[in-house]
Amino acid sequence: MSVKYIPVQWNRNKWIYDAVMLIGVILFLYLFLFVSPEILSHENPINPQIHNARAFGACAFIMLTVILCIGPLARIDRRFLPLLYNRRHFGVMTLFVAITHASYILNWYFAFSSSNKFEALLFANTSYGQLAGFPFEVFGVFALFCLALLAVTSHDFWMKFLTPPVWKRLHSLVYFAYVSVVAHVSFGILLDQQNHVFTVIFVGGALSVAGLHAYAAWLEYKAGDDIGSNQGGWVDICDASEFRDGFAKIKILPSGERVAVFNQGGNLSAISNACAHQNGPLGEGRVIDCLVTCPWHGFQYDVTNGRSPAPFTEKIPTYNLRLDGTRVLVDPVANSPGTYVEPVPLPDVVTKEVLV
Amino acid sequence: MSEKTPFFVGYLPVPQGLRRFLLVAVLGVIALFGVVGLVIGSTQDAPEQSGFRFDYGRQTVTGVIEMTPYPILRVTEGNDLIMPGKTLMLAGQGKNGIDARTGPMAGGLATVTGIVLQRGTIDMLQLLPGQRGIKVAEGEAQPIETEALGRWKLAGEICDGKCLNGAMRPGRGLAHKACASLCLLNEVPPVFVSTQPVEGREFMLITGPDGTPLPDMAYDFIGQFVSLEGDLERRGDILVLRMDAATLEVIPQ
Repeated sequence: MSVKYIPVQWNRNKWIYDAVMLIGVILFLYLFLFVSPEILSHENPINPQIHNARAFGACAFIMLTVILCIGPLARIDRRFLPLLYNRRHFGVMTLFVAITHASYILNWYFAFSSSNKFEALLFANTSYGQLAGFPFEVFGVFALFCLALLAVTSHDFWMKFLTPPVWKRLHSLVYFAYVSVVAHVSFGILLDQQNHVFTVIFVGGALSVAGLHAYAAWLEYKAGDDIGSNQGGWVDICDASEFRDGFAKIKILPSGERVAVFNQGGNLSAISNACAHQNGPLGEGRVIDCLVTCPWHGFQYDVTNGRSPAPFTEKIPTYNLRLDGTRVLVDPVANSPGTYVEPVPLPDVVTKEVLV
Repeated sequence: MSEKTPFFVGYLPVPQGLRRFLLVAVLGVIALFGVVGLVIGSTQDAPEQSGFRFDYGRQTVTGVIEMTPYPILRVTEGNDLIMPGKTLMLAGQGKNGIDARTGPMAGGLATVTGIVLQRGTIDMLQLLPGQRGIKVAEGEAQPIETEALGRWKLAGEICDGKCLNGAMRPGRGLAHKACASLCLLNEVPPVFVSTQPVEGREFMLITGPDGTPLPDMAYDFIGQFVSLEGDLERRGDILVLRMDAATLEVIPQ
């Protein structure tokens, strides 16, 4: 959390995260660039520029594949959430690797003629009406454009400026970028391979991304949040006895929004389930130092008013609560972000059970 | 979330219960990158025998220039490496042909200097720029013998002669199509690689019919496995295929 914008809010975990990813990338490139030629021992070696372009291109693909696997993995097993924490840095790193790949391609395949190399990229191959021989470079250009846009707008300033919903939609471009990369490879190098080891790795990577997303979606469909039932204009959450201290129950409201009802020391409060930072699932967070803490990036809120502690300024909507016997009901109409709502104490009979 | 799952907050120390899991995940990510990098890098296809012969040094020979319409040189005064009677395709530096320089010399004698590119039975000379690369030579030029070999139907690939001859390795195929197109648009001589040798040669200069350049429609098929028909002729010691554009079709692989 930050009360002012600075380039990077470094902390120990971010240093470790970036170091691990950087070690992985450097290891990939070192082994590809310097060790594999010795193993290949080609009588007529591949041009260094082409070898380098392949190394950086393959690395960018693997990086993007890992980035897109982290999301569903964290939904399937919450222990992967730390890999999500600093994923934006890994995305920016991917852009630089992809730019290096593009530079080698531009300065080799599209250079050395009287034409401008950027213009040559556009006019050299115009066989858009066929599959084999399709100008696959355009897919790479589109993916690079998407990655650049995502990297440039990755800072929290842009999230605040664009608002989290718009920012999230913009950053779902990463999926279009990935599909474009898959097309770029499928219509390019994959059609020229005699040795199909790369093909197997490429298809395996793409299927992993698709399979993990499908599996995570299926798990959420099977065991995801329920739609709260309507009780005379109020939405039934659950029985008060189901609450555990420091944890929340999440329900989907008729509007489609999710509400998180927290039990903090025997008092119930309801807030929006969407964190003001990146729409992270607050209801899956924990209460730390009397503040609800988002599981994605650790943004914190007071459950009674939906406000981040001073000097921070984030605010989320709150909801009115009431008890009907031991049933907990929530008013589906949200209060303005930051509105204080008096907590509702758990019934005595339930309190004894919960707090014992 | 399970209440027993340790809760990670980025700016706080990693919970004890998560440390072993994250250590395994970290090692797994690093190992994944290492293994994949090594495996992909060490399973690339070997480029075919071709390349610049910088080891020969600059070669200077004299011969007859002929435009097919792409320029070739039939050597009349050679050296230890390039014997009289040898026919060379000619190209400029980079992705550039030399039609503008050789056109006015067509049918005459010229002395050329450059670096040899070799690929199987077909050689190319990359000329130095300007007068250092090509100049008119004194003497009487004998026309290059042309032997008509009849109409042939061939299967293979249309490439640019320079990359195919090793200016790039690999220098053919669909991944290389844009580069080959750029070379051909800039008048580098095109070459057809036949799947079966014809008259003992699998590489041949390819042109349009009746001495015209490669037809525009052929550019869409560069790098693809195609079949085509055309009139074949022997010019010196290379073959020239005059393709019939109407017969060009893709062969499914």
